[in-house]
Amino acid sequence: MTEASRAAYRDLLHPRLVGLGATLLIAVFVTDLLYWRTLLPEWSTFSIWLLTGGLVLAAWSGVAFVLDLVLGHVLAVSWGRFLALTAAALLSFLNAFIHSRDGYTSVVPQGLALSAIVAILLLVIGWRGWSVGTARPARLAAPPRAAASMAPPPLEGTGR
Amino acid sequence: MTPTSRRTIPALAGLLALAACGRDPAPPSTQYGANPALPAPQQYVLPPTRIATPVGWGRTGTPAAAAGLAVRAFATGFEHPRQVYTLPNGDVLVVETNGPAAPINRPKDWLFGFFQGLAGSGAPGGNRITLLRDANGDGQPELRTIFLDHLNAPFGVTLVGDQLYVADTDALLRFPYVTGETRIAAPAVKVTDLPAGTIDHHWTKSLTASPDGSKLYVGVGSNSNITENGIDAEDDRAAIWEIDRATGFKRIFASGLRNPTGIAFAPGTNTLWAVVNERDEIGPNLVPDYLTSVRRNAFYGWPYSYYGQHVDVRVQPQRPDLVASAIPPDYALSSHVAPLGMVFSTGTSLPARYRGGVFVGEHGSWNRIPLNGYKVVYVPFQGGRPSGPPQDVVTGFLTPDGKARGRPVGVALDRTGALLIADDVGNAVWRVGPAAAPPAVVAAR
Repeated sequence: MTEASRAAYRDLLHPRLVGLGATLLIAVFVTDLLYWRTLLPEWSTFSIWLLTGGLVLAAWSGVAFVLDLVLGHVLAVSWGRFLALTAAALLSFLNAFIHSRDGYTSVVPQGLALSAIVAILLLVIGWRGWSVGTARPARLAAPPRAAASMAPPPLEGTGR
Repeated sequence: MTPTSRRTIPALAGLLALAACGRDPAPPSTQYGANPALPAPQQYVLPPTRIATPVGWGRTGTPAAAAGLAVRAFATGFEHPRQVYTLPNGDVLVVETNGPAAPINRPKDWLFGFFQGLAGSGAPGGNRITLLRDANGDGQPELRTIFLDHLNAPFGVTLVGDQLYVADTDALLRFPYVTGETRIAAPAVKVTDLPAGTIDHHWTKSLTASPDGSKLYVGVGSNSNITENGIDAEDDRAAIWEIDRATGFKRIFASGLRNPTGIAFAPGTNTLWAVVNERDEIGPNLVPDYLTSVRRNAFYGWPYSYYGQHVDVRVQPQRPDLVASAIPPDYALSSHVAPLGMVFSTGTSLPARYRGGVFVGEHGSWNRIPLNGYKVVYVPFQGGRPSGPPQDVVTGFLTPDGKARGRPVGVALDRTGALLIADDVGNAVWRVGPAAAPPAVVAAR
């Protein structure tokens, strides 16, 4: 990214955290596969900690996204992408409970199936980056006074 | 609140409802004896769990005894008492103990520790043995001393001749004992190491001696609920060990016993009996805990199967060869009662219907809704075998709204034949004797 482009668009916080969390949740599918093929319980332990880390980052991503909205850095929200990521987070939350079972059924079959669905979902979404909105061009940003009053600026235009 | 958590809260509530709803399981009476009803195993998103919050007994509260019996506090103010043992001169040993801190291998372990704290099972143990002497036999000890201190999660105690054996969680120890002494100052001699390690999931080591005193038997619990810590962590566990007292040589006497928390020889026989805690999280009525005679070299199923050939799919890879050899236990006590102590009723002071059978201390667990156990029961015997459903002997450990005044653990008979019960939540030892006459029951309350 060049100096010019960084100056031209507002910097969004949430895509960085979404990207980190999604990486962990995609990795769950890999460690689940390894458990299924090797039956070594260490791999299922990797899975549950990856799930936990992914869910913590998903929660922080949500905070970051709200912050992006409040600061008026988002020009338009892509609700389809937002819903897909939320679905991935919720399925992973369910999967954390499945993965908290003891023994084989903590992974096979439901845990593995859920982590596969989540991995596919995240890879499809992530192909176009981890933002769920378009950044507002810097020159169109709300004036500093409006931001200081904590009022979220209106979302202008469709941005699509 | 984040967009994510706005949605997760209703989702969590939904999951909780999913776990909580559904009909009550079949009553425990369907799972007593040789042929318990075994429903199909379930896999839960959130296993049914109910914590009995500890509330204690207050200043005057006591458990309730069955008709013909009266219960009084023998002594109170202990640090997590779990085992009682009567020496030949009538002195009573109280083992104050709790397990070592469990490591956090999974997020669930943290939650498990949190639940334990809520249920009062996380209180530190005294790591010592207290001696109580009731010389005049009135049920109120006149002397109380610290008999042995600085132990490491002790549980089983047994005296053979002039040697007192104590089963710490990591070693079987031996101390010289002189009749009448109130404190042992001599250092411990280690007989043998016992499986402990960093996980030490089921940490209690139950202990008894063969009738001729030549062999010692140690009950060693599994290192997991159902091998989630790996099968290698289960080496020499979920078994009863036989240790030669003279040489220290040890072998596995019987295996596949998930957590044999109480072991004892039937009086006048060479038959070893055990109470065993079975596996969790596959349903409110699975798997029934049991009382069984223990056959030499027998395999009782854990982890691969339960009650004979009922395979547990959570264990992979399976071992069909071992499952084929698994034998069912003698007598189911019903599910999640958590029997933690047993004693054969050899006394003569209790009413005649309590002779010859087994008293079992049922600690209760949080793995069932509604709760089960939290009482002391009596299993009648005839011809050396259990001969009827368990009978409630001491109840009232739970309040009507499901809080725990106490939780019974180890049981023993005192010199007079009265039943002693260690209560690790009420931090008391209860003494159950005969009610002199019906009005005396009222007076004792």
